[in-house]
Amino acid sequence: MSKTLENDLLKVVVVGHVDHGKSTLIGRLLVDTGKVPEDRVSSVERLCREKGISFEPAFLLDGFEEERDQGITIDTTRVNFEYDGKRFCIIDAPGHAEFLRNMTTAASHADVGVLVIDCQQGPRAQTLQHIRSLAMVGITDVIVVINKMDKVDYSQVEFDASATAVRQTLKEEALNCVAVVPISAQAGTNIFDSSDRMPWYSGKHLLKVLCELEQRDYTSKHDEQPFRMVLQDIYRFDEEQRYFAGRVVSGQINVGDDVVFSPSAKAARIKEIRQFPGLTLASAVKGDSIALTLTHDIFLERGEIVSRPHELPEIETEFCARIVWIGKEPFAPGAEYTIKIGTAESKCSISIVTAELKPEEAVLQNGMFADVLIKSEHPLAFDTSRFGVVNFVLCSKLETSAAGLVVEKVEALVQNMSPAKRAIFKETGFVERQEFENLHGHKGGVVWLTGLSGAGKSTLAKLIERRLFSEGCRVVVLDGDNLRHGLCADLGFSAADRSENVRRIAQMSRLLLNTGTIVIVACVSPYKKDREAAREIIGKESFFEVFVFCPLEVCQSRDPKGLYAKSKSGEMGGLSGIGAPYQPPSSPALRINSNEINPEASRDAVIDLLLSQRVIAAQLASKQRSTHGQVDLEPVLDIR
Amino acid sequence: MTDHLSRLENESVFIIREAYSRVENLAALWSMGKDSTVLLHLIRKAFVGHVPIPIVHIDTSYKIPEMISWRDDFVKRHGLRLIIGSNKQALADGMGPHQGRLTCCGSLKTEALLSTVREHKIKALFVGIRHDEEASRGKERIVSPRMSDAWSYKDQPAELWDYYNFHLPAEVDYRIHPLLHWTEIDIWKYIQREDLELIPLYYARDGVRYRSLGCAPCTGTIASTASSVEEIIKELETSRTGERAGRAQDQEHTYAMQRLRSGGYM
Repeated sequence: MSKTLENDLLKVVVVGHVDHGKSTLIGRLLVDTGKVPEDRVSSVERLCREKGISFEPAFLLDGFEEERDQGITIDTTRVNFEYDGKRFCIIDAPGHAEFLRNMTTAASHADVGVLVIDCQQGPRAQTLQHIRSLAMVGITDVIVVINKMDKVDYSQVEFDASATAVRQTLKEEALNCVAVVPISAQAGTNIFDSSDRMPWYSGKHLLKVLCELEQRDYTSKHDEQPFRMVLQDIYRFDEEQRYFAGRVVSGQINVGDDVVFSPSAKAARIKEIRQFPGLTLASAVKGDSIALTLTHDIFLERGEIVSRPHELPEIETEFCARIVWIGKEPFAPGAEYTIKIGTAESKCSISIVTAELKPEEAVLQNGMFADVLIKSEHPLAFDTSRFGVVNFVLCSKLETSAAGLVVEKVEALVQNMSPAKRAIFKETGFVERQEFENLHGHKGGVVWLTGLSGAGKSTLAKLIERRLFSEGCRVVVLDGDNLRHGLCADLGFSAADRSENVRRIAQMSRLLLNTGTIVIVACVSPYKKDREAAREIIGKESFFEVFVFCPLEVCQSRDPKGLYAKSKSGEMGGLSGIGAPYQPPSSPALRINSNEINPEASRDAVIDLLLSQRVIAAQLASKQRSTHGQVDLEPVLDIR
Repeated sequence: MTDHLSRLENESVFIIREAYSRVENLAALWSMGKDSTVLLHLIRKAFVGHVPIPIVHIDTSYKIPEMISWRDDFVKRHGLRLIIGSNKQALADGMGPHQGRLTCCGSLKTEALLSTVREHKIKALFVGIRHDEEASRGKERIVSPRMSDAWSYKDQPAELWDYYNFHLPAEVDYRIHPLLHWTEIDIWKYIQREDLELIPLYYARDGVRYRSLGCAPCTGTIASTASSVEEIIKELETSRTGERAGRAQDQEHTYAMQRLRSGGYM
């Protein structure tokens, strides 16, 4: 790279709760770096005089009349400035909850976030919402500024209280907290130089933190990432030549490379990389808009992802994702939405797996986050890692309804798990598990049914038990609700009690497993870490996690135990999926959509699983095919 | 792609290609100014040397005369399909800046533009505006939907990552702003890098030059000796005056541009 080329801008989005001082901070940066044209400053000065107020730096960004009259930021804008030879683009983001879609728009274009917190108020509702939005749009690094330190006489105690709280929240959302800087945007303290007002603060001032960030490598190492190009269009302006136009979103590609187009699975070799007329490149990297020519002609349409043959993207019609709802219209269960991912589009349906809904409304709407299952009409190509094609939007006919991040594909069962190797009882004299199993004519195993209340776990457990019993198997059901009347009667529904509940069930399952028994656990078990602990206790070769999935709204309408009603009336709090989290399994052995297949077909799917895992023998299963017709079982063996 | 200008160029090309792929009846607005001339160049780059869409010029009849002769020559040499739009009725009725600058802009620019869009059934129009020009443009989206010609600036749609909204109901049409994130100095550095041909009015003659081009009665020159791209870049790097300080309509009152633009002005 030649030295005359300018370094790229570092794009910084400034977010925070309303009135915590975002626009004042940005205005301060602009005025003090002298980057605002004098006529723009003087027009704001004139306006402030007319209004009879002191100079308001926020007006430099809040250009709309309505914004200035009401003292709020309605929409995002961006301005560039330079400091110490470094170039920044500051993106202003509204703080009001109702403008979340503008805030999310702003954040989706940034490299790093600056979170402004009023030290007198600490983190507030929109602080958390903004932190989640940052994580959602793919930002990993956040600088926190604790503002209005002048209002608390530059008190370290006040600073520490806010700083500790926000560090914890960032950690929970897996964001990297680069620094926490005490400042006063109004007074200009600790922004451009270190302040002697706060001798207790030994860290860097804000601009220094920003400048050092820029020196870090935000342009990732292209050759270490898989190549991805999104195909925008195919041009045939010239008689002979067909150009495949698109943008490289990850990695690097060279002339002569073999590539595959997904989801069509067509293969080709790159003949030329045209950047622009008269300019052919030997290679292209992330960010380049290019037009490819291929060594032989193939028919393709917009929407494909181009990659190398050995590092293909996922191709699925179903995947799990985290979304933030930004539509004016709330989520309509069962309605048809369009997903746009890369340059592909498909109609799709959305099922909520879990969302933190307000019990009195229980509908996903503007500003709310949810984990969802997306089923598309056509196969879609995407990635599940942090780079490549991971972001998408969901659109209704009228608007962009949600922004999303692919979490994972619905994971396939890993075949041929290693046979039991763990010798759990070392002491001699006990009857070995193997001996029990020989006696029973089948192996022991634990089928762990997890899912929301009302998803159909208990119903399914009973059917499996009856089926196995009728075949002469040793089988037992451990039903979470029943155990809470006895073994776990001392436990409540806090996160800690839920963990303990799961631990006890797992320990009991292990004891039963060692008598060669097939254990059917029916338990909400909402936390991933608890289920992972259960897997450890039981042993992964005998632990079969089954995700009994059903859209939240259907669970609510079923409400077999009246829990949702109680939750709505406020009689009961902390129901998983509504007031408390439910973390769906990332790679269950089986996923059953109880809203789409009947309980008998669900039972047969579990029996098939036990068969494929050689817990039970083939002759048992051969009898079990009943008359439920064609069912939409989730293909658990999907190895491409 | 490691430098700033290349990133801007690549992003703009992506936007231009998205629009071309998603929308029928696309056109580009060209004022012969530096920005829309850069826009034309980017369109040619996006389509491997071709300009597959018509170019629209809104002629108020008050343009600096040199602009019109330069326009016709440029169109001929580059083989462009040019659509000239104007509000003939208003001109026949004597519309001009003497009736009030904002009234004149609304009639001869906004009205002329909207009727040209209707007449030629243009569904989406590329416009070379930039965030840093003035405050209301600072709040624009890359793709800005227009219902009944109006810009609902208080209620703009989300524009996440690189996903643009071309799926809105059939009665919506679009302004597309591929240069939105460029700054004035980016434009000049790009003109320098690409060695682009530009209308000579931008270069100083007799101690003055135009920094922004518009209609003759409402556009002023600035004192300058910058007679080459290099000198202009040097001048801008030290200037603390806004680009549109010479544009009279902007100075009418604080929210003049917000009012004009919410009605459909470019």
